[in-house]
Amino acid sequence: MTSNDTPGAQVFDGIRIADFAWVGVGPNATMQMAFHGAEVIRVESSHRPDTFRSGGPRPAGDSSLDASAYFAKFNRGKRSVAINLGHPKGAEVAKRLIAAADIVTESFAPGFMERIGLSYEEVRKIKSDVIMCSMSMEGQTGPHAKFRGFGLTLQATAGITGVTGWPDRPPVGTGVAYTDWVATHIGIIGILAALDHRRRTGEGQYIDLSQLEASTLVLDAGVIDAANTGRVAQPLGNRDLRYAPHGVYPCADDHTGGDRWIAIAVTNDDQWRRLALIMDRQDWLESEELCHAAGRLAEQDQLDHGITRWTSEQTVAEVEQLLQAVGVPAHRASNVRDAHEDPQLAHRNHWWPSDHPVIGEMSYESPAWRLSDTPPPMPAPSPLLGEDSEYVYRKLCGYSEEEFQQLIVDGVVE
Amino acid sequence: MSPYRVIDLTAEIGGLSTMVLSGLGAEVIRVEPPAGHPTRQRGPMLRDDETSSLYWAQMNAGKRSTTLDLEDERDRERLRGLCETADFLFESDAPGAMASKRLGYHDLRDRAPQLIYVSITPFGQTGPKSMWAASDLIGHVSGGLSSLVGDPDRAPLRPSVEQAYNITALNAGSAAMIALHARHLTGHGQHVDVSMQAAMANTLGNARLYYEMDGIVTQRAGGARAFADRATRIIYPCADGYVAFVRVPASMIRLHKWMSAEGADPQFDAERWAGIAIAGNNLPSEDEIAELETEIERFFSARGAQALYESGQQFNVMICPVNTMQDIVDSPQLNARSFFDEVDDPNLGRLKVPGAPLNMSATPWRTRPAPTLGQDNDHILAHSHPG
Repeated sequence: MTSNDTPGAQVFDGIRIADFAWVGVGPNATMQMAFHGAEVIRVESSHRPDTFRSGGPRPAGDSSLDASAYFAKFNRGKRSVAINLGHPKGAEVAKRLIAAADIVTESFAPGFMERIGLSYEEVRKIKSDVIMCSMSMEGQTGPHAKFRGFGLTLQATAGITGVTGWPDRPPVGTGVAYTDWVATHIGIIGILAALDHRRRTGEGQYIDLSQLEASTLVLDAGVIDAANTGRVAQPLGNRDLRYAPHGVYPCADDHTGGDRWIAIAVTNDDQWRRLALIMDRQDWLESEELCHAAGRLAEQDQLDHGITRWTSEQTVAEVEQLLQAVGVPAHRASNVRDAHEDPQLAHRNHWWPSDHPVIGEMSYESPAWRLSDTPPPMPAPSPLLGEDSEYVYRKLCGYSEEEFQQLIVDGVVE
Repeated sequence: MSPYRVIDLTAEIGGLSTMVLSGLGAEVIRVEPPAGHPTRQRGPMLRDDETSSLYWAQMNAGKRSTTLDLEDERDRERLRGLCETADFLFESDAPGAMASKRLGYHDLRDRAPQLIYVSITPFGQTGPKSMWAASDLIGHVSGGLSSLVGDPDRAPLRPSVEQAYNITALNAGSAAMIALHARHLTGHGQHVDVSMQAAMANTLGNARLYYEMDGIVTQRAGGARAFADRATRIIYPCADGYVAFVRVPASMIRLHKWMSAEGADPQFDAERWAGIAIAGNNLPSEDEIAELETEIERFFSARGAQALYESGQQFNVMICPVNTMQDIVDSPQLNARSFFDEVDDPNLGRLKVPGAPLNMSATPWRTRPAPTLGQDNDHILAHSHPG
């Protein structure tokens, strides 16, 4: 590629993605490319709408498929074409779209794309250098390939749930579809590595991404430890094997009401002394055992008790400020209101505004990164279902106006 | 990624980002202080000592190692020279710390214009919290996720493996790949600023949206799906542990069939439960839900997690085992796909290690051992000065 610094040029200009994926992982991955100029076309159908189109939140009283803010969050900057893949002519339309695409993504249960004639083997006959990425729950092969699930339950299979909880209680998991935010990035990295390989060699490829396998990456050394020593990591509440004190402590009620908590993590001896000093705990400062992590780990109950007494009498903002002023790692356990109003996230313009024709004004998350030289423009709102059907059928798939009208009559464009 | 060279100066917050690039074929060079990277001493250990870190083995698989003393200007100059030969630099020092050693993005930009300079920090390079002291726990709670995790009668929780660090590292990997493609467009590298808080804030599901649209502050609900002002239970005990099962309407008829097939004689009205949404109006009463859950619990409690997984899924019921790390090692699915590899680690001997997190047909993942301290000094430093 030659250097081209034209203002307004985007990183993925000219790259088209035929996006057959749905719900969380696939759409989240392709959205990051849409932000930077890729033309991402969600292949959708009102017969089998993306589950998130039925989700919430949504404007009161509007149950339409275009009113879900949850769908909007995963699909900004994309186009949408309605293709009924269950219709015999639907697969033909999909093939024409693929012929015009660089990347094909899908997250159906393994076997579905094959059944409608869109396996990788078929797809590469249409477009020889295509990059196709399948992102199913547990991969395309193996005895559990067709098992059903979603991010909420996959985190249990992937080992996250089992290490999230209190030692004396059942594990709880994260309460959200946590693995979605892990597998998404493995998908992005893999697709972009494949795209770079294609730029250099002209060769496309097939990516079989198992959300389960991708998610085990974030288990730290948990899997390698079990595999080689038989030790099995346990849930520790908020405690840590290396650091103490290390916890989330209750604070006094404040103007927001109750349930306020402060996280404190003492990760070295210096921070420990500063914590004890600000708490005015001369006994702790004078204790030789507590000067070292091993001694503090042995006395966690006592430390947690003392810290709880101290934090309980102050608001979370007071404790946070006191501790950060002396360099002790501390932060309120932010709830969603705190996150929405967080001054640091506001400084980064993290919540990107959107004005959607059905949903109205809302903000949605932006990437966790900022690029100094190629920041993306503010993305368009998520598309209405089938909003770009005419463009896709006529311009990209090459159907005449008469053919397009006939496909509407035939029930393919829905 | 085999044409690309990556310089890795990260602490725990970044190790996974470069490990993934290494698996995809990039040459990743761990630049360590002469005494070794601190995480060489981080547990868990393979043996009963402080030199057999399995954490190091996992997070540095396939990387090279070179030692440089960045307190010494001569070694800093060697690093600048190395940057001229590299495509990426990943670092995770506090904002301004690299610049104070004249190793910041602006110090290197003229000399190594091709370099993609990735900075990974708890809060980002600028802003009111950018200099705040932090850790994995602090990153986790600062994004908001802990408010959705844990039992309501106790403190908000973090997972007991360092998720905030690892999710942030994966975000950094995605960002670096976008910057690589940007280099095709602009002809030069750039500065990538990754925030752990922002990475965690992006894991809130629909909960922040419910606050912005409806003013609802979703609360943690134990082993359940935190969903606006109501929660749906997910975690159930079984004979040998726990399973995750979501009571979605579509599952109820299938669950009834499955229980009937196993002679459990289900009493609940499947048709009725299938018609009740789990959110919205006409919700079942607390008593009705408790009665249903008791019946489900009785059925699950008599069976093991893996057996429930295998038989439940045959009936298309969305049920999963709450796997331990050992269950993952023993997983028939992962083993059928040859997920685990073996490597000969120069320090630790033969190790069984997790392999490819994705299977790429043309550019397959490479699983290799982690480096010994300074093992590539001769090779790398000899070639660090172009010309």
